[in-house]
Amino acid sequence: MRAGSESPFFFGARSGLFGMYHAPEGQKRSALLMCPPLGQDLIRCHRLYRQLAQAVAARGFAVLRFDYHGTGDSAGDSADVQWDRCVADTVAAAAELRARSGVDRVIAFGARLGASVALSASEARFADVIAWDAVLDGQGYMASLDALQAALREDAGRFTRPRAHADVAAQWLGFAVGDPLRRQLAALRPEALRAPSLAIDSTATTPRTEGTTRILPLGQPTPWNDLRRLESAILSHPLIRAVGDYLEEAA
Amino acid sequence: MSREEAHRFGRADHLVGIAGLPDGASGGTGVIVLNAGLVHRVGPFRLHVELTRRLNATGYATLRFDLSTLGDSGAAPGRHTRTQQVEADLDDAMRLLGERAGCERFVLVGLCSGAQNAHTVAASDPRVAGAVFLDGYAYRTLGYKLRHYLPRLFDPTRWMRRLRRRGRVTGGESVEPVFAVAPAPRDEVIADFTAMVERGMKLYLVYSGGISTHFNHQRQFRECFGRVMDHPSVTTRFAADTDHTYILTGDRERLLDGIRDWLVGNFPGKDARRIA
Repeated sequence: MRAGSESPFFFGARSGLFGMYHAPEGQKRSALLMCPPLGQDLIRCHRLYRQLAQAVAARGFAVLRFDYHGTGDSAGDSADVQWDRCVADTVAAAAELRARSGVDRVIAFGARLGASVALSASEARFADVIAWDAVLDGQGYMASLDALQAALREDAGRFTRPRAHADVAAQWLGFAVGDPLRRQLAALRPEALRAPSLAIDSTATTPRTEGTTRILPLGQPTPWNDLRRLESAILSHPLIRAVGDYLEEAA
Repeated sequence: MSREEAHRFGRADHLVGIAGLPDGASGGTGVIVLNAGLVHRVGPFRLHVELTRRLNATGYATLRFDLSTLGDSGAAPGRHTRTQQVEADLDDAMRLLGERAGCERFVLVGLCSGAQNAHTVAASDPRVAGAVFLDGYAYRTLGYKLRHYLPRLFDPTRWMRRLRRRGRVTGGESVEPVFAVAPAPRDEVIADFTAMVERGMKLYLVYSGGISTHFNHQRQFRECFGRVMDHPSVTTRFAADTDHTYILTGDRERLLDGIRDWLVGNFPGKDARRIA
């Protein structure tokens, strides 16, 4: 890492959004906005996002990582996280990246709900979206989190005795969840999202193209919904390589 | 009101952290929160964000930051042991909070490996006036073993289950450990605690049911560390029902309330505001 090449800062309305800008090395090419997933996925992906940002910045791309309102280091409580606000914050982050880098052409990358947010943020004018295991069915996603939260209540690896139902209510895997977010996620449907240019799929077995989307198998499963690995980082060198290669090609 | 500032700092400009600065706060005690395991500075389930903001609202300046090579922090040049790195990183952190908020003495907060690192620095740095150790050093005492094994010995359902399982090959499913603290010799830890309180430090030890493989009762603080646990500068709490990383919001609330009240009681300062 070059000293000063990664700059932490706050931006946006009332300087409430945390960002980490990775200055590009060498000839500036285009820019990459990295949209984080939500909840525990965000914490699990932090290291991978940093590794990817560094790898891409070394290839000449300006990169911005950031946290939505109510997540990570940004202002707001976890219970205040809302889908519409995540989308608005993404638009603000894209503008910030353009202003900092002087590059108008911005590509977005996102994992899980981070991909879904990027695919929803039409006002951000992304030239491309790279989506890794995007959440396309909000109700299915909520059902899986509700099931994991119910299992957590009785997780003998975590608690010495099962917890009361009230203790685990209105939360998903460590984070308070408000009703507005539940309602907004329930309305999340694939037809409301633009198609990504590249979809990296942990479960696919062969590369293929659907419409304008190139689908690339990751070559390894990603343990998003495994309670036993809830606090283990998600790391993937194949993902970093795939995104880097795609950006080289698209630049 | 308070504000947060993002900083890149340190002897090699390699550390990243968020300073929380209450309006008008100057001098007094600053609180520094160390990484828990490999989780970046926001802490498990954002514990460190919630903690620092609550303390800012109570009037304390705070810093949550990433140690060398963790989170967003890079490596410092030079050959150093991990302990030397941690000591130098904390020196950098204390200097930053001194510059930004005028703090001259500090309370360190750490969970698991964070408690271990906080312990190392607290034992050697005179600027550290207090420490909160969450699931820090623990040793299986005789009391632990009696409490753990005796009920199992006389529990017929456990015996039945064990007999039924005999001869059956288990799946051998391994569960990845979340964090692991390398043990330090118990005599050394006791000597450290004793020296800390003798030089006027205040200690708050909070252990959870999440480390039930090593710790299972409030009495075990005394069993592990002896008479120093009776010292008026030492406060202990065993949260039996809680897990290691405070995944439930109610458990987290109680932990944060406890840390805030302990701070206000032990480091009142001119800026600290007691919450009813």
